[in-house]
Amino acid sequence: MRKLLLSAVLLMLGGAAAAQQGHDHHAMQAFTRDAQEAATATPAFAPDGSLWVVRGGPATVSVARSTDLGKSFGPAVAVNAEPMNMDWGPDSRPQILVDERGGILITFAIFKDKRFNGRVYTSRSSDGGKTFSPPAAITRDDTSQRFQSTAIAPDGRVFAAWLDKRHAAAAIAAGKDYPGAALAYAWAPRNEAGRDGAFGDTALAFDNTCECCRLGVAFTPAGTPAVLFRNVFPGSVRDHAVVTFDRDGKPGPLRRVSVDDWKIEACPHHGPSLSVSPNGTYHAAWFTDGSARQGLFYARAGGPEAAFSAPRALSSPEKQPGRPFVLSTASAVHLVWKEFDGERTRVMWQSSADDGRTWTAPVAVADTADSSDHPLLVARGGRVYLSWLTKLEGYRLMPLGGST
Amino acid sequence: MRRAFVAVLMAALMLAAPAYAGTPQSFERGSWAKLRAAHAGKPTVIHFWGLTCGPCLVEMPKWGKLLAERPDIDLVLIAADPVPQSPDEVAATVARNRLERAESWSFTDRFFEKLRYEIDPRWAGELPRTLLIDAAGNIVAMNGVADLAKVRTWLDQQKK
Repeated sequence: MRKLLLSAVLLMLGGAAAAQQGHDHHAMQAFTRDAQEAATATPAFAPDGSLWVVRGGPATVSVARSTDLGKSFGPAVAVNAEPMNMDWGPDSRPQILVDERGGILITFAIFKDKRFNGRVYTSRSSDGGKTFSPPAAITRDDTSQRFQSTAIAPDGRVFAAWLDKRHAAAAIAAGKDYPGAALAYAWAPRNEAGRDGAFGDTALAFDNTCECCRLGVAFTPAGTPAVLFRNVFPGSVRDHAVVTFDRDGKPGPLRRVSVDDWKIEACPHHGPSLSVSPNGTYHAAWFTDGSARQGLFYARAGGPEAAFSAPRALSSPEKQPGRPFVLSTASAVHLVWKEFDGERTRVMWQSSADDGRTWTAPVAVADTADSSDHPLLVARGGRVYLSWLTKLEGYRLMPLGGST
Repeated sequence: MRRAFVAVLMAALMLAAPAYAGTPQSFERGSWAKLRAAHAGKPTVIHFWGLTCGPCLVEMPKWGKLLAERPDIDLVLIAADPVPQSPDEVAATVARNRLERAESWSFTDRFFEKLRYEIDPRWAGELPRTLLIDAAGNIVAMNGVADLAKVRTWLDQQKK
C-alpha cells in the first residue's frame, strides 16, 4: 500500500516536473529567439548622400552605411565592444546624427538594474564609421536616464534631451510623492578638430513628465530646439505638452498641445512626434486613449506662442493606430503611422502641401505580417523616405511618392 | 506512522504543485482562442499584468489574497508586457504573490499588435486590465487597477 502510494506520488511529481519543463522549454525558446533580434533601425543621411543606419539589439548597438539608398549595406560596426544590457523599452532606440564634417554621434540607453533604471551613453566616430569611441555616460548623475533624443542645431551644436529620474529618486528618498520623471537636456559643442565633443552640464526643464515615452525633438527657424513630450498633469492625466527653448538655450513655458484627459496610473510606452517647418509652424502627432478622444491625432500651431489647432484624428481606434512620425520639408509635411487589420500591419502615409492645413487621403505604403519597428521618416535633398525595419522583410528605405 | 507519512506526502505535493502551476504558458498567436475555448461555459476572471508595469506589481498581492479567500474563482493571469519577458521572472513574481494556483500565461510573441487584436482590437495594451467573463461569455472589462470588491460581487452573482 505504502509503496503504491509512494510511486503514485513520484509519478505525479514526475509528471508535474515534465510538464513544467515542457512549458519552460517552449516559452524559453520563443523568448530567446525573439530576444536575440535587432528590434530597431534608425537612419541618418550624411552630407555625401550616403545612408547610415544604427541598429539596436539586446546587447549590441551597431552601425552600417549604404551608398545605394538602403538596398545594400557595408559591414556592421559595433559601437559597444562588450555586451551591454540594452534598454528594450518599446519606445526606446539608439539615435544617430551625422554632422557636416561626416562625424557620427551615436547615443543609446541601457538598463542598469532590474527596476528599469537606465543610463544614456554617447559614442563618436571621426573616421567615417570605421571605429567608435568607448561609450561615455551623457551625464555625471547615475540615477537613471532613458529615451534620449538628439538633434543638430543650425550652428552645429548638438542638443540632447532625455527622461531623467534624479529628482524622482531624491523625492522618494525624502518620503515624498513624485509622479513620472523629469525632462533633462544638455548641449555639446559644434564638431571641430581638437574638441572631444562631450556634452556639457545637464539641466532639468520640467519635473513630472511621463517616464517611458519617447520624445519629439525639432529645431525652430530661430535655431532653438523644441521638445514635445507626454507630461503628467495633475490627477495623473498623461497628455502632451511642448516646450520651446530660448536663444540662451533655456526652456520656455510648458504649452499643452491638447486636453485629451488620459488619466492613467501607468506609462503607455507610446510617445509623440514633432516637426517644425521652415516657416515656423509646429506639427505634432500623438497617441491617446483619453476620455476626450482615443486613437492617433495631429495638430498644428503657427509658432512658439500660438495655440494648437483642434486635434484631427488620423485613423480609427479599431485599427490599433500607433507610432506616428511627422516630418516637414521646405515644400511639404509628411505623416506616417501604423495600422493593424488583424493580419497585417500597414504603414499609412499622407502629406500636406499647405503647411498642414489640408492633407491627402491616407494610403498604405508598406505592410508586413509579423512584428515591426516604428515607421520613421528621413529627408535628403527635398525627398522624403520611409525607413522601416520588419521581422520578415528586414530593413526598407522607400521614397514617398513624387511629393517633395 | 501512516498519518505522518500522509502529512509528508501532502507537504511534498503542495511544494511540487506551485512550481508547476506558476510556470507561465507561452502566449502566442492563437493562444487567446484556445484559452477561451478551455474556459467556455465557466465564469472566468482574466487579469492582464506585466513585469514592466509598476501599478500591476503593487496590485498583485491583493489578487493573491483574493485567490486565497475565494476557492470558487477561476483566475487566469496573462503577463502582457509589450516586449517578451523572461518566463522565469514571470513565474517568480507569480509565486511571490501567492498566485501559484492561478492559470498563468506570458506573452512570448513579439507580434504585439496581433496578440492584442485577438484579445480586443480596441485594447491599446494598457496595463493592468481585468476581464470578467460569465458562463454565457459576456465580458465586463475593467481598465486599470481593479476594484476587487466589484470582482467579489461578480463572483457571488455567478453562483445564482
